[in-house]
Amino acid sequence: MSARDRILSRVREAVASRATLPHPGPFGAWRPDPVEESSVEGFVRLFRLAGGEAHLVDDEQEASEWMVRFADGFESITIGRGVPASLHPDLPVTEASAAALGVSFARGAVAESGSLLLDARDGRRSQLLAPVHVVILRADTVSGTVREALTSLRHDLPSAIAMHSGPSKSADIGQVMVRGVHGPGRVIALVVGASEG
Amino acid sequence: MSRGPGAYRAEAARSLRDDPGVRDSVGSATRSFDTHRAKAYAEIDSERWRDWARDVKTHALTHLAEYLEQAETRLTERGVQVHWAETDRDALAVLDAVVGRHGIRTAVKAKSMVSEELGVNEHLERLGVRPIETDLGEYIIQLLGEPPSHIVGPAIHKSLDDCRVLFHERLGTPLDAPPDRLAGAARDALREAFLAADLGISGANFVAADTGTLALIENEGNIRLSTSLPRVHVAFVGIEKIVPHFEDLAGFLQLTARAATGQPIGNFVSLIQGPRTGDEIDGPEEVHVVFVDNGRTALLEDDEAWEALRCVRCGACLNICPVYRQTGGHAYGWTYSGPLGAIIAPGMLGLKQALPLPHASSLCGACADVCPVRIPIPDLLVYWRERAVEGGLAPLSEGLGAKMYAGLAERPGAFAAAAALMRHTPWKAVGRALPVLGGWMQERSAPEPSPKAFRRLWEEGIE
Repeated sequence: MSARDRILSRVREAVASRATLPHPGPFGAWRPDPVEESSVEGFVRLFRLAGGEAHLVDDEQEASEWMVRFADGFESITIGRGVPASLHPDLPVTEASAAALGVSFARGAVAESGSLLLDARDGRRSQLLAPVHVVILRADTVSGTVREALTSLRHDLPSAIAMHSGPSKSADIGQVMVRGVHGPGRVIALVVGASEG
Repeated sequence: MSRGPGAYRAEAARSLRDDPGVRDSVGSATRSFDTHRAKAYAEIDSERWRDWARDVKTHALTHLAEYLEQAETRLTERGVQVHWAETDRDALAVLDAVVGRHGIRTAVKAKSMVSEELGVNEHLERLGVRPIETDLGEYIIQLLGEPPSHIVGPAIHKSLDDCRVLFHERLGTPLDAPPDRLAGAARDALREAFLAADLGISGANFVAADTGTLALIENEGNIRLSTSLPRVHVAFVGIEKIVPHFEDLAGFLQLTARAATGQPIGNFVSLIQGPRTGDEIDGPEEVHVVFVDNGRTALLEDDEAWEALRCVRCGACLNICPVYRQTGGHAYGWTYSGPLGAIIAPGMLGLKQALPLPHASSLCGACADVCPVRIPIPDLLVYWRERAVEGGLAPLSEGLGAKMYAGLAERPGAFAAAAALMRHTPWKAVGRALPVLGGWMQERSAPEPSPKAFRRLWEEGIE
């Protein structure tokens, strides 16, 4: 018998006489006070609370203008493959580990947890190595809850999906919070299709 | 440096006596963690979330074999190489093959308690591979040559000043450097390691059986880097980490973060299906998942203590424990410390090896109040104590002392006489020769008894 079969048979034997409990059903995100904000509002509020930045623009034209202004002052850039050409800042593209700015295109986002959903196909190094990370997010791809987001992802899973919900941070040195430990210390969500009301 | 659980009492006493800064650092960090947890629980219907999480985990454990097989099938479909390890040696043997085949020289490690349990770093060194811990807290204790003191914050026993001295000596930062400067120095050193390493090693917080997804929670980004940059990724996963459905992660990712640090979710969550696919430009070419038993099936076989396998390793029970707060994790002499460590050690290591950890508790019950998966920790502590007595593993003096007390408590006259005798005994001189008390006094000095009985003081009108 292989190690696999020995482990599985021990597991089966251990629980054989135990009463089984059914799965309790889907996670309901239960809260004492129901949330009364739109998904985009919820995402922006929590993302900012965790130290992320968010800018809301009406359309791709405005997004492009914002990007030009923001990219001014950076020396080099690494760009995710899903970023539309109109949003490529006019900066020299470099290897991600040397880039000052990373730009990614989000697969979606979540209001409940304040998370951006990033797809490995967009390019993992662009999402991780530059000290500043701008993520372009279409407002109509923001889910209300994590469960809804996972359901929408499950039919098309790449090698990895990442949820980025704020800057890289740590309190491991004397319980003092510092940012930008390994991943980007600044993360900016550029939400396209929803101006701040 | 660890002398094992058996040395708990001596190690706890030594820490409190010789290293009082540990208690200060651990106390302030755990109180801060717990304050954040309490606030984060108040924002949600935490009773309902915890009932749900308990029931999903119980369900998963009672169908564990089927879910493990399903996860294996999904992972294999995605090109992951799945291994099964009955013991630590089996698990480490997976590394032998990977290191040999790829000529690996450097490995970056994401924080992983199971890899501590298995002794992955020591084994890599034996293979000639340099293992580099990349979580900032793990990096600090690796520089110091110490094991983690806490499941979530491995270096919480070190103060800012401790870190300043360490980084000054090892990385050349000034002695008065602010924390972000220290973190920057670590970042620079570790960034080089990330870019050079051929192997990334991680654990997993959860595995979703129906998609084969490994879910990992963190705040620094080092887990994402460790599982994205090197050519090969090896994940060591305890067999109890299974949840049935991909969507179940919604509850567990959020509840675990709230219980651990009070965040709505970790700032980085990785949901990993396998090696890079044809339409991806980066990510590992090879992914291995090692399902680890190493004592878990023995714990599962126990009709009471199997409930401890629901644990999600959030550390909430450590943070609120008045006993853990005194010493941090090192005194427990094993990878898993605090109330959780004390209830899984007897099942995983054997009761004899785990003693006296089930006694490292006042049974106040605070741990059960905060556990996100409602493990009846105090009940299980008492259960293991009873098992120790039944198995003849409790010291004879313990039973003798209890019997003596029971005999006196049933006879008021004898009780009063014994109490009077005790008030006038020169404890410092004779205490060490007596059962129970002698053991206690080896590590402590006894307080002076009150000259008057409590009953007498009561009659005289005490406050």
